[in-house]
Amino acid sequence: MKKSNYIYLYDNDFISLLSLIKILITKKVIPCNIKPNTYTPSLFEETFKEQISENEIIIKEIIDATSFYILNTMYKIFLSEHNDKEIIIYYFFVHALKYQNKIYYMRNLKSVTEALKIEKFVEHETHKFKGFLRFKELKGGILYATIEPDNNIILFLSKHFKQRLQNEFWIIEDKKRQLISIYDKNNFYITSSECFNILDKELSEAEEDIENLWKNFYKTIAIKERTNYRCRMNFMPKKYWKYIIEMSDKNENSY
Amino acid sequence: MDLKEKLIILADSAKYDASCSSSGSSRKEGKLGNTAVAGICHSFAADGRCISLLKILLTNCCIYDCKYCPNRRTNNIKRATFTKEEICEITINFYRRNYIEGLFISSGIIKNPDYTMNLMIEAISLLRSKYHFGGYIHAKAIPGASEYLLKKLGNLVDRLSANVELPTDEGLKLLAPNKDNRKVDKIMDYVHKNRTNKFVPAGQSTQMIIGATKETDLEIMSKSSTMYNKHELKRVFYSAYIPVNKDKLLPTLQTPPLLRENRLYQADWLLRYYNFKVEDILDEKNPNFNLLLDPKASWALKHLNEFPKEINSCSFNDLLKIPGIGVTSAKRIISSRKYFKITFNDLKKMGIVLKRAKYFITCNNKYFTDSTFFNKNIIERNLILEDKVKKESNIEQLALF
Ligand code: SF4
Repeated sequence: MKKSNYIYLYDNDFISLLSLIKILITKKVIPCNIKPNTYTPSLFEETFKEQISENEIIIKEIIDATSFYILNTMYKIFLSEHNDKEIIIYYFFVHALKYQNKIYYMRNLKSVTEALKIEKFVEHETHKFKGFLRFKELKGGILYATIEPDNNIILFLSKHFKQRLQNEFWIIEDKKRQLISIYDKNNFYITSSECFNILDKELSEAEEDIENLWKNFYKTIAIKERTNYRCRMNFMPKKYWKYIIEMSDKNENSY
Repeated sequence: MDLKEKLIILADSAKYDASCSSSGSSRKEGKLGNTAVAGICHSFAADGRCISLLKILLTNCCIYDCKYCPNRRTNNIKRATFTKEEICEITINFYRRNYIEGLFISSGIIKNPDYTMNLMIEAISLLRSKYHFGGYIHAKAIPGASEYLLKKLGNLVDRLSANVELPTDEGLKLLAPNKDNRKVDKIMDYVHKNRTNKFVPAGQSTQMIIGATKETDLEIMSKSSTMYNKHELKRVFYSAYIPVNKDKLLPTLQTPPLLRENRLYQADWLLRYYNFKVEDILDEKNPNFNLLLDPKASWALKHLNEFPKEINSCSFNDLLKIPGIGVTSAKRIISSRKYFKITFNDLKKMGIVLKRAKYFITCNNKYFTDSTFFNKNIIERNLILEDKVKKESNIEQLALF
């Protein structure tokens, strides 16, 4: 293996990244870094773009060389916003080729620890949002939710709500990434929210009353003598409050 | 009375029940909803407790007069009763918007236990059949109701349980003379014997009120231990007594005994996941927990001759005895040390918190510092100091919910 001084570029999608990593490993190159092709290099950095023939077959190749779990871990890291996620995925995969599934126990290796930490973060956030996401009912009965998660978890959330709310029309919008997931009682489709702009977001007649009921329930269910804002903040950090309707009220927000 | 007022009254009367979990079931039938094995918290109330279920009473009217209860007959409070349609509508509307995992329903007793439980069954039936609700339901059985109704209800819900409320018969006689522990026992027995993946798939739990009567921690933990063994309960919840009524039979407390409640939860975990027995952590001479130190640390300090334990060779069970090492960490250590010799630095990288553990372990026969510090008084002082810092930031208190 030889260390390269180049920053290698890929097309900002998972398949393209995997293809690049495979080429690098075949050529026995350790990249200085890997970045999406939108990356603007600094004065001292040099970028390089390999000729990549993108092909879904790469997925199978990765699984054959390692395992489905390892591919899954790499994908979750890819969905994070970690600044160095590409190079972390590269090193994780290099180790995975050697250790296979044992890699999950090799936490003495720095790059493995780092990778698993990011994976955990993505999983953890997904779990939190399964609870914290709030739908509002639009006219016509469509359920609509807005989220701004730290990681790109709309796919995992869509899978969850496809099972849970299978007989509803629902839409989840990730405002941060301009992504939108639309479920038609059969399948969900994730696309850019620029291509699918919902103009009419008028709420259903019942919506305000139901939200009111919920807010009243929320206030009532707390035991005054046990008030513990710090504990609440630990479990439900302020960054999530914006779309949690019982928390976005001014009076709750003042704590 | 409008729906909002009803909901406020009937949630307010239900809020003292500590159970919150929505885990342990994986229901897939029903057009609306499913259950998640791991359980999901949807919100956290101002008291830091997780909200995952719409927690309500069917009615707060009651023919009984339990001294500690806000709904007792002799209290002059506003009373309300939900219709079954109201219960369904609120549950469905909250569930669709992802406010909740499902429904927790309990009730005061109107007319008699059978009559009351039948009302619950009607509401839940409607929810399951007409509304096709497939989410989580936890119902509180009414002590004294017939087996026929228990069977019917158990087939509709994920969890069916009954509250012991007070740990001893004497306590119950004093404060809830209409109640009879044998009736609760009968329910637990019935649910336990008949449990399948269709009948009460998520099992049962119970709750005890802490500090309303004079029981020691030893009596409380012994009761829990008996119930875990005899009825395979999933959880025992401990609920610090909060004075809602004035009565000469009730203690006057300035603040609810939250720290004691926390110690009981910690000990409860030791019983369920760490292979401890009640007699390991409490005995007739020391029937109550040390409020300054958690039960595992207290135990370890008393058995310091068994420490320090060598991370690279001690058994899984020994790892579990180390303060600060949880089940996940212990498993991680066992699977990792096959591949490399673990150092203190590795433990950190593995995400294992060393704050407490470091005093009780060696890594490759090395102690984290000069081994003269391996001394009961020094360790005790350091642990208590750390707890103080933690308590000030109050993180720990509800981490067990
Ligand atoms: S039976 Fe239940 S609701 Fe009625 S007074 Fe006793 S504890 Fe309260």
